[in-house]
Amino acid sequence: MKILLEQQKTDYAIFNHEWILQDCSRDFKKRLSQNQQEPSDSSIWSLFPELVGSEEPLRAVQSGSLKYYLLQGLSRLSQELTQQRFYDLCVLSYSKADAELICLLYDSTELLQLQQRLQQQENEIKLLKSGLLRAGRHFAHQIIGDSPQIERIRSFIKKISNIRSTTILLTGESGTGKNLVARAIHFSSALSDKPFVEINCAALPPTLLESELFGYEKGAFTNALSNKKGLLEEADGGTLFLDEISELPLSLQAKFLTFIETKSFRRLGSTVERTVKTRIITATNRDLKQAVEKKEFRSDLLFRINVLNLNLPPLRELDNDVVTIANNFVSHYALDFGKHLVGLSDSAKEKLLHYSWPGNVRELRNVIERAAIFADGPCIDAEDILINEPEPTFSENIKLDALENGFSIYDLEKELIVRALKRAKNNQTQAAKLLGLSLDTLRYRIKKYDIVNQ
Amino acid sequence: MKQPVTISKKICMLGAFGVGKTSLVRRFVYQKFDEKYLSTIGVQISQKLMPPVDLTGDRLQQHNFILWDLAHIEKFTPVIKNYFRGSHGAIIVFDLTRPEGMEQYSVFLDPYLQMNPDNPLVFVANKNDLFEGDPSTIEAIETLGRRFHAPHLLTSAKSGENVEEIFQRLSRQLVERQLS
Repeated sequence: MKILLEQQKTDYAIFNHEWILQDCSRDFKKRLSQNQQEPSDSSIWSLFPELVGSEEPLRAVQSGSLKYYLLQGLSRLSQELTQQRFYDLCVLSYSKADAELICLLYDSTELLQLQQRLQQQENEIKLLKSGLLRAGRHFAHQIIGDSPQIERIRSFIKKISNIRSTTILLTGESGTGKNLVARAIHFSSALSDKPFVEINCAALPPTLLESELFGYEKGAFTNALSNKKGLLEEADGGTLFLDEISELPLSLQAKFLTFIETKSFRRLGSTVERTVKTRIITATNRDLKQAVEKKEFRSDLLFRINVLNLNLPPLRELDNDVVTIANNFVSHYALDFGKHLVGLSDSAKEKLLHYSWPGNVRELRNVIERAAIFADGPCIDAEDILINEPEPTFSENIKLDALENGFSIYDLEKELIVRALKRAKNNQTQAAKLLGLSLDTLRYRIKKYDIVNQ
Repeated sequence: MKQPVTISKKICMLGAFGVGKTSLVRRFVYQKFDEKYLSTIGVQISQKLMPPVDLTGDRLQQHNFILWDLAHIEKFTPVIKNYFRGSHGAIIVFDLTRPEGMEQYSVFLDPYLQMNPDNPLVFVANKNDLFEGDPSTIEAIETLGRRFHAPHLLTSAKSGENVEEIFQRLSRQLVERQLS
């Protein structure tokens, strides 16, 4: 039997009636001792610690009342995660008369490593899904603050989260958290396990945006080698979030309007109408009414997407919430960087409260991240907070000048044009944009006020 | 003082996938931690000698813990039955960042207790380094501890917080049962 086992490359160990090692195959000890401490003696318990607790079945095998005792899928924990060998351990009676046992080791590494790879992928997907759900739940918690403005946002989310069919328009300056609010609406609703699909309308050229949104059929255009679902279909049952909706090209606005009104659309190159049920959230930092006036945005689309509008306040209007939000970022980065940070010093709070935050929460987050990296003590101090000192805004300057010197409308307008030209480095097109004037009007006024190059 | 008597004890690590069972064992046995997640298949065996415990007078006992780090169990099969056979205690591990998993403890704990009804248990809520302190999660682990008359600990395999304590608590419970 031993010869047979050696030929089969099966490791074995034979134990006497007192469960002490009698004989073993050549590679047996070597295999078992890989990455494991040396056995203290030659008892079955030292050589096979996995048999501790199995005294009863071993006695049954010895007496012949149990044919064999099998432990499958065993491995020994190694210091390095990746060095893993698997084996099955089978205990049989070797000699009934002498009550000897034989332990056979079958190498099952190949099979179990395959199984492990499959299991790994399955578990990773489950972990990622659960992480996403958790993150989703946290979006609502991430809307931090006690100011009435923040309370208004929370109340809005609560009221509309379970209304599936409406369209929502989120407005507000850049960095005020429109994306966060869109996610909070989706993930605090009954649709939270359904897809949340997001697209930034400014990020893609018009033709690509159309095929991304509506999908296409094979052969619809060069390189359309197979059918492709669009984001509208991907968002079926869930939420479609279109960020920077103001940048949606006019040519696509009509098609998108039809979709909002009928809930149906055709893929590029298809004649088949498809219907999807999806909640639509749009966001912009531009004044859409102004865009309509300038004929850059369709008024009918604005009316359709503006069923429910939430205007997110800029950070400078949130008073003490700036500190609350900053403290939250401190805790976040303390965890992220493994640093002991308890919060902000009084001087740091003062500094945060006296800044106008043109970049809003996004800017605050970056400032705190930088401060968390450089802070030496447990508190972030004023000097850790590196912010560009507030550049006086246009309107403030004018106000101050006006108060000190008095003014006429003539002077004020001239001053505005001079400053705009300075800021635009004499580029009249840019200056006109800054002033919200047409180029012709600006040229007329430059002539009128006799303004020379600035 | 006499040399301690060494007794080997089979301890099962139970819990859903990804809660950190292997990380806790690696931290305890090798003082190592790896952020990388590698799912366990079957069972990984390791052992560690616990510090000697003074029983009475000059009697010293030392536990050699044979740790059975088990893969996530979905079905109670004969293979699993052999994994649980002859166990002396169990450590039930949860992930503080996935509290929903705490409701599913019966999937692995019920079959374990069917085979080992009187064994000491320790409930472990792992990943405390990532935990944001939700009181309902703490309450859930406390409730489980009370229900099974077992201690509970918040741990972090990453920082090592309370990891030794898990095994010391179990060792203490084993000694107390032996003395009672």
